[in-house]
Amino acid sequence: MKGGRAAWARPPSFPFNSLEGVPPFLAVWHRGRVILREPAEALDPRVRRYWLVQNLTVVGFVAVLVGLGAAMAAVLDATTVAWLISLVGGPVVVVLAPLAVVAAGLDYRRFRYEVTDLGLYVASGWLWRSLQVVPHARVQTVDTTAGPLLRAFGLVSVHVRTASAHGGTSIPGLTPDVADRLVEELARRAGIEEGT
Amino acid sequence: MTEAVLEGRLHPLAVLVIARRFVGVSMIPALALFFSAGTRVIVPALAVALLVGLPLAILSWWRFRYRVAGGRLELHSGVVSRSVRTIPLERVRGIDVTEPFLHRLLGLVRVEVEAAAGGGESAELSLAAVSRAQADALREALLGSPRAVGEGVAEPVPLYRATPGLLALGGVTSLSYLLAPAAIVGVVFNLADDLPGRFVEQAAEAAADRFPTDAVGLALIGAAVVGLVLAAAAAGSLLVDWDFTLRDEGERLAASRGLFTRRLVHLDRARIRGADVRDTLLRRPFGLAAVTAIAAGVRGRSGGTLLAPVLRAGDLPALLRAVDSAATNPAAPLAAHPRAARSRRFVRALAFPLAALVVAVALGAWWGAALALAALALAALLALDRYRQLGHAFDGRRLSLREGSLRRRRSELDPAAAVSFELRTSPGQRRAGVGTLTVHLGQGAGSRRALDLGEEQAVALLRRVRPDLFEPLLPR
Repeated sequence: MKGGRAAWARPPSFPFNSLEGVPPFLAVWHRGRVILREPAEALDPRVRRYWLVQNLTVVGFVAVLVGLGAAMAAVLDATTVAWLISLVGGPVVVVLAPLAVVAAGLDYRRFRYEVTDLGLYVASGWLWRSLQVVPHARVQTVDTTAGPLLRAFGLVSVHVRTASAHGGTSIPGLTPDVADRLVEELARRAGIEEGT
Repeated sequence: MTEAVLEGRLHPLAVLVIARRFVGVSMIPALALFFSAGTRVIVPALAVALLVGLPLAILSWWRFRYRVAGGRLELHSGVVSRSVRTIPLERVRGIDVTEPFLHRLLGLVRVEVEAAAGGGESAELSLAAVSRAQADALREALLGSPRAVGEGVAEPVPLYRATPGLLALGGVTSLSYLLAPAAIVGVVFNLADDLPGRFVEQAAEAAADRFPTDAVGLALIGAAVVGLVLAAAAAGSLLVDWDFTLRDEGERLAASRGLFTRRLVHLDRARIRGADVRDTLLRRPFGLAAVTAIAAGVRGRSGGTLLAPVLRAGDLPALLRAVDSAATNPAAPLAAHPRAARSRRFVRALAFPLAALVVAVALGAWWGAALALAALALAALLALDRYRQLGHAFDGRRLSLREGSLRRRRSELDPAAAVSFELRTSPGQRRAGVGTLTVHLGQGAGSRRALDLGEEQAVALLRRVRPDLFEPLLPR
């Protein structure tokens, strides 16, 4: 990763990964040493907006629920309940809204992947971080999907499935040509014959 | 095809088994009818059911045929709409032979054929009741004949055989009954809600009136309850695992068990990825453990992978080596996890009792505070042991991972069988400089993890376990 964001970059010094892309206020949590280096490739930046829309939809849904609940309680003359709902729900929404914005950016910065000679290496998550390595020999299927929202941003997701329910992984938010090349490479390395 | 064709129907007595299933299904409607409408309706209804049901059972027996030929297994069935299920023999993963009680009286067995379906799932075909000879022929046709044992050669010594004493002790020390009281309380409370007229409340009050309040009475009742629970645990273990015998049949292992319902399960050696050795806090002083195989593509639900329900620690290495020639010594020392893992165990164990203590003190409930204090002490001991049991080792071929205290598990597995590796860190773990390494095994074999592995340990372990895979990913 190069460019303006280097201001946040520090010498690699937190477990399993570098500090690259971590804002200083989170860096206090990150001590120790690197276990696995950072994967090389980043997602398409447009995925930030996709995640932002997704997160804000959830926050909006919660806000509507809180509002409706409080309004209904007020109409039914249950004043205490109405106060309770707004006093609990209001702060939750107030906390969630900025978190939704921050999380979309951090999720993008902290999601990286790389195809190595023997496996697919995917790093994701900024709070609960997961580094996953799937050996090519264990990949059963590689496919791409795109929901209506993801398509609206001109992106697709690549899913890698193994024989395990938990052993697979997904790479969301790639441009179709990057995804096609990735699928082709993964399928070739996994020895899967090209399907439709 | 030059293969022999194997064809057959269920045993004629299977009609009884099928009929019994009809009875089971119609029992609740029949009882409901009996209570709501009385004998005048129920007798003709039963007569009609018998007149229709029995021919139906006979017909469905007649229509059910199985056939092994041309490299596949076919099941023809159906009374109204007919169906044919075909499964290629290379898809057959295993055969499960069960003898439920009714079957045993009739000298029959139930055969379940497990086959791999698309997408890593498994399908199951059931032959409700066949004779033992039919089952043997089927097994041979589907899985190939067992290792040729020369004429006159005595049957090989089983790899493991449970003795009643061992099973009873195993049941008493299993600790699985610790979960039972919660379930019983839940059932009683549910009943209390459903039963009319405060029946349970009245019964509870009556019991409370007669409940002895002096120390001797309480101690007697406590001893009686504990004795009853332990006896039930021992009886359960004896019932399910009676005469558990594990045999080596070359390409596969055969385990048979059960007192009333006897089951025979085959496990393909090629599917075995390692073994789990489980014990409990109570089993450790006796040196007892249970062994299950870590196997891919085998249902774990019905104990299809159990190798030994209760085993003395001294017999453990021999059994493990017989199952997996590269098995490590299960007593080999493991590397301890860093001290940060200990603090994390303490924080997790103590948080809840500590909160309870604070609340109790704040409310001035001194009895509650005393209880919370006792819980705190127990939780601390448990946390300490949970930390002490954490461990991992790699001897070049098998990865050993251990965790748990009340119920402890040591897994010996082949890292080459891993479907994927995952390192996870929570913010707290990153702060403490530890992380959890999970090895996903796939095909129903689940995952095994090394909880709160230190950073240096993780680097060293990954570098040794799969150098080809991880060397390019390690820093520098």
